[in-house]
Amino acid sequence: MSKIFYDHLILIEEIIPQLEPLDSESRDELIGIIDATFHHQILDLILTHLPKIHHEDFLTRFHSTPHDEALLDYLEARIDKNIKTEIQSLAQKLKKEILSEVKKSKHHHK
Amino acid sequence: MSPALNTDFLRSRLKLKSQQSELLLKTRHPSAVAFLESAGVRPGSIRKHAAKLLAAGSAAGTILLSPSPNFSLRTALPPASQSVSISPFDLHNNLISQLKSQLPLQVSPLDENQENHISQTLHANYGIHASAVLEGNRLNRSYGLIGAEQHLPRYPGDSISQHDQFQKSGITPGRGAWGYFAPSKLALTPDLIEKEKYYVAVQTLYLPDWSTRLPYLRDWYKHRKVVVVNPKNGKAIVAVIADSGPAAWTGKHFGGSPEVMGYLEAKDGKQRGPVVLFFVDDPQNQVPLGPLEYNLENPPQLMSS
Repeated sequence: MSKIFYDHLILIEEIIPQLEPLDSESRDELIGIIDATFHHQILDLILTHLPKIHHEDFLTRFHSTPHDEALLDYLEARIDKNIKTEIQSLAQKLKKEILSEVKKSKHHHK
Repeated sequence: MSPALNTDFLRSRLKLKSQQSELLLKTRHPSAVAFLESAGVRPGSIRKHAAKLLAAGSAAGTILLSPSPNFSLRTALPPASQSVSISPFDLHNNLISQLKSQLPLQVSPLDENQENHISQTLHANYGIHASAVLEGNRLNRSYGLIGAEQHLPRYPGDSISQHDQFQKSGITPGRGAWGYFAPSKLALTPDLIEKEKYYVAVQTLYLPDWSTRLPYLRDWYKHRKVVVVNPKNGKAIVAVIADSGPAAWTGKHFGGSPEVMGYLEAKDGKQRGPVVLFFVDDPQNQVPLGPLEYNLENPPQLMSS
């Protein structure tokens, strides 16, 4: 899996075992949708907390080296809140919501 | 034994969640999203972009170190790069070449056969269900000239300084044909902000049954979702109908909001250009408004390495 700088905070892999009953094609498709949801929400969180004056600089860095964990140091230096904890909390909440959807889909008749 | 997953139900729920989060991001941080998109990256596809960077770096290193003149680049790349889905650039080029053979040389009304072929082309490229006729309704044109419109006031007292982009386009002095988007600034939701941002004007007043079926048609057309395609550059955008016009004497058939026109780049020296405009069949409201840059039924996938 290609890496994004906040991957170690979100641990999206924890959801994958819940999708094991599916064939690999469906599983990959759903993981792709889930992954995109995480990126939307985490980017939203970061941009909401990061002062607007730094947005362009951050996005330029993020675009050039999306894997670079130094981006977290960059954010920590410019955001008052503990951004690592914020990302972890958001990821936990999102994972819970997604696992709830998986659970519902087991009880939803075809 | 645990019950089986209902894949279709789960896919639909997860897609909805993803689209809602994308919409929220675009509404709250439009400049940031536009910045990334102008660099060819949709925020939700950042992992695909990372995989491309990784593949490019890996391939460059391998080429430099490879002693073999018969080196096969593709087989040397990590699996991630081999499963990269089609880029917006390639999507646009595919659409340009396919529409070229399906559209008449001059901008003129399409026949049913042409419209059906274009529906299939849009579905094949973008996974969108779009057609010139929906629920028995059709516009006077499905292929015509679009011109630039101004922003619409979204609520009483709205001003151009309240709009976050394309302020130079100005704002109309009066309301759109369907009134304000919200009764007050407080009642303006992210969804309504998106609707004003991505709106089109169509010539409902020239529909033959407009006056006889006004109550029904007025409601049917209000914020009806459409896809607008510029056949010259292959760019497509999803918008809603929020105004009526332009007048026939202008020679134009549709109007586009500043954001729609900015994305489509559908303007020549006369500030107008040809577009295909089809209704989007989206009863579950799952197709997000804004630029279409990937296949909705085959969204970018998580890469494996």
